[in-house]
Amino acid sequence: MTAFKGFLKFSEDSYILEISESEKDVLINLSGQLIEILAERVDETHSDPLAKMVGITGYDTPPDDEVLLRLLPNAYADPVDSSEFRRYTESDLRRKKAQHSMLLRSHLMEMENGRVMLDSESALAWLGAFNDIRLALGVRLDVDENSQERLELLSPDDPMNAVFAVYSWLGWLQESLVLALMEEYEEDEN
Amino acid sequence: MAQAEGKVEELTDPLFFVDRPWVTIVWDDPVNLMSYVTYVFMSLFNYSKERATELMLLVHNEGRAVVSSGRREEMERDVARLHEFGLWATLARDDN
Repeated sequence: MTAFKGFLKFSEDSYILEISESEKDVLINLSGQLIEILAERVDETHSDPLAKMVGITGYDTPPDDEVLLRLLPNAYADPVDSSEFRRYTESDLRRKKAQHSMLLRSHLMEMENGRVMLDSESALAWLGAFNDIRLALGVRLDVDENSQERLELLSPDDPMNAVFAVYSWLGWLQESLVLALMEEYEEDEN
Repeated sequence: MAQAEGKVEELTDPLFFVDRPWVTIVWDDPVNLMSYVTYVFMSLFNYSKERATELMLLVHNEGRAVVSSGRREEMERDVARLHEFGLWATLARDDN
């Protein structure tokens, strides 16, 4: 990826990112995939429109897909409590996650002169979207506490190599936004 | 964040949890950035940077940490918010 500065604090409650066209395309593509993954578990079996309207889904079992399970984890160790919680909250969680990614996409699609400007509220949504994408890539890359070395030593023609490059770049980008947002707190505390 | 062993009951401060039978636990995860986890604690719970950093380090070093306590409904709300931002959180009855 090209060298650039990441997110910078621009003025009070405003953060700026300069981003190349190719980096923008990567983010638009990945957030699009995330939205698709989240939508895959849309409930088609539930026939009660009222239940659907208040966000109750037919799903009370954890997703089979490892990525979806990491994005929509169990809330309780106990499977019965966990199912109950999932039935009432999963569709809302899917919707909120999709909204984070959709906001990121619309900002990127509307940006001009290679610059995106965010306030702290949209920055939080961006962070959520970055994190979901990294969680999804992390599952595919089989990231664990000891994977850094394995991933850094992948052969150049291994397709996972490109995935790892994007994963690392996104981590760096996310970190730059967090650090820019933290500046605000440092000023408050001084 | 690195994997580590730890017991939840050792991490809860009894002074803060009197008559508050449910807790939200955040678990260590190899993907989430330490800085991001800290920032999520700050913005979701309004914790000071110091308190948020302390909790993040507990998660990182002990494998998990209790990040809030209260009524079951409140903890369900906290867990849902943490899930929204990709942290690995569960709620449980506080056995202290």
